[in-house]
Amino acid sequence: MSALSSLRSNVHQVARVWAFTMKIFLISDFFILTAVVQPIIFASIAFFLFQVGGDAAGEQTLLFAALGTGMMGVWSTTLFGGGGAIAWQRWEHTLELLVAAPRRYDLTLLGQTLATTTFGFYSMIATLAWGVLLFGMPLDANWPLLLPVSLLVAVIGLGIMGMLLATTFVLYRHANALSNLLEYPVWIATGMLVPLALLPGWLGPISWVLVPTWAVEAIRGAAIGTEPPWLAIVMCLVLALVYYVAARRILVYVIDKARRDATLNLA
Amino acid sequence: MTAASTAPTNIPAIEAQDLVRTYRTHLGVIRRHSIEVEAVRGISFDVRSGELFGLLGPNGAGKTTTIKMLITLLLPTAGSAQVMGFDVVRDTTEVRKRIGYVFGGEGGLYDRISALDNLRFFAELYGVEPAAQRPRIDAMLDLVGLAGREREKVEGYSRGMRQRLHIARGLLHDPPVLFLDEPSLGLDPVGARELRRTIADLVAAGKTVLMTTHYMFEADALCERIAVINGGKIVATGTGSDLKAVVANRTIVEIETYGVTAEAVDRLRADPDVIAVNTEDQDQSQILLVQSERGTEITQRLIQQLGDTRIGKISAREPTLEDAYVHLIASTGGEDGDSAARAAAVA
Repeated sequence: MSALSSLRSNVHQVARVWAFTMKIFLISDFFILTAVVQPIIFASIAFFLFQVGGDAAGEQTLLFAALGTGMMGVWSTTLFGGGGAIAWQRWEHTLELLVAAPRRYDLTLLGQTLATTTFGFYSMIATLAWGVLLFGMPLDANWPLLLPVSLLVAVIGLGIMGMLLATTFVLYRHANALSNLLEYPVWIATGMLVPLALLPGWLGPISWVLVPTWAVEAIRGAAIGTEPPWLAIVMCLVLALVYYVAARRILVYVIDKARRDATLNLA
Repeated sequence: MTAASTAPTNIPAIEAQDLVRTYRTHLGVIRRHSIEVEAVRGISFDVRSGELFGLLGPNGAGKTTTIKMLITLLLPTAGSAQVMGFDVVRDTTEVRKRIGYVFGGEGGLYDRISALDNLRFFAELYGVEPAAQRPRIDAMLDLVGLAGREREKVEGYSRGMRQRLHIARGLLHDPPVLFLDEPSLGLDPVGARELRRTIADLVAAGKTVLMTTHYMFEADALCERIAVINGGKIVATGTGSDLKAVVANRTIVEIETYGVTAEAVDRLRADPDVIAVNTEDQDQSQILLVQSERGTEITQRLIQQLGDTRIGKISAREPTLEDAYVHLIASTGGEDGDSAARAAAVA
């Protein structure tokens, strides 16, 4: 198989798994309820907090808050999906079938986690709509052409981060509980909730190696930045690539360990 | 996509040599320690191309562990195995291209979406070319008798339909070798019969099938050769006739009893002409299966030894494959004969 046809085949696999997983999410009452209700709560809290700020809560600040809280929802969904990607397959008794399939399991997992993140971007839309409808937030982007680029890059970056999380969760039966622990620290450390400049200096290096930091930066930069957010977009992609390479290596190790320890099918 | 054409014909489709699999289990909370359990203890066998080979044994005998090593989901602790000449540890991708795996019971499908969506998804993962996916799916739906029902959600399917969908899934990439792990588990008699017909059709079409089951009747009806496995070891291999020969020189006396005591059964076992006694619990009664040398008349003595036990029907008959199975399992320790008899009786 030539490199080009191999690439085409791999992209087709990721796209098919993505579409399949999206379909499952769209008929899951539980997933929809979580995705619909949670971002509205987040958005309301954030808007009220910034309104209390009085004069400081200008229109740009409201958009800053809206984009941050939207990303909080995206991250929650990514984390939930990343932790759940393996657990759900175990519950359905399909994990062994996916691992034993001739096609690469890392691409299957990537398609699943990309779908989770894509679904999570509903949070962003819901938050912005909530802001416009209830709080009169203007929806003007300073760099309108870069906004969809930033959103796409954010989906890819967070999707791959979800894959990295999922790979480490293969070995653990209670991955969902572990994923809950990571929700709030990342909200803080990546500047979703408060600007990074307000955080202690020692948190800086941690923030810089987290994809959501640059994803938030890219989206905010495109919406309200004074300069085009090229650095954030490139950093997001570079980190996504690093995460993907790491995820693939970890996946090879954990699948091998699961075959050795007989833990693939443990529900 | 057909992987079968790439396989050399002069080698067994499946070959296992001294396969061993040990599980480590952790015990205790504060003072944790681990113990090792040998699920498979040096199993060797081979399956010819186009053969339907049965692994027959009670629950916990090591059947599923053996299959999972052969389909690359578990690494053997020792020994080796090849499928179509490819090593199950080193050549996992090549093995996976050439095998289909179907297991019984619930699970293994996405219930809330249609059978068609399930098959489309797995067709992709099994490497079926996009243009060939729909024709292949249609062909598999026809084969398993689900054509016309493919747009229904799987959650509305009966156990038999689910099982046939599993087989369709396992055959999507036209693998030459099919592993069926207790495929009739939980099926009603009609569903089980339909499934057996489908399996027979697959073998007639040239597939190599390795099937595990603890139903004697199923193995006898389908398999060309059977390996009886117990306690992680193969205790006998051969055709149904070969296995029956183990008890060929015996007579089976079946005694229907009500409320028979363990002491009464022990008295029967102590009789010098009795070779083995197995019991099958039924709703209100217990069936005693007493094996003795052919030509030995012991019925009257058995009735006397049962004492006050209420007795129903008594009959003598030729030994069956089921008796051979029960004898093999009971005589090799790991599972008591009663349980084996119950497993056999379910079929």
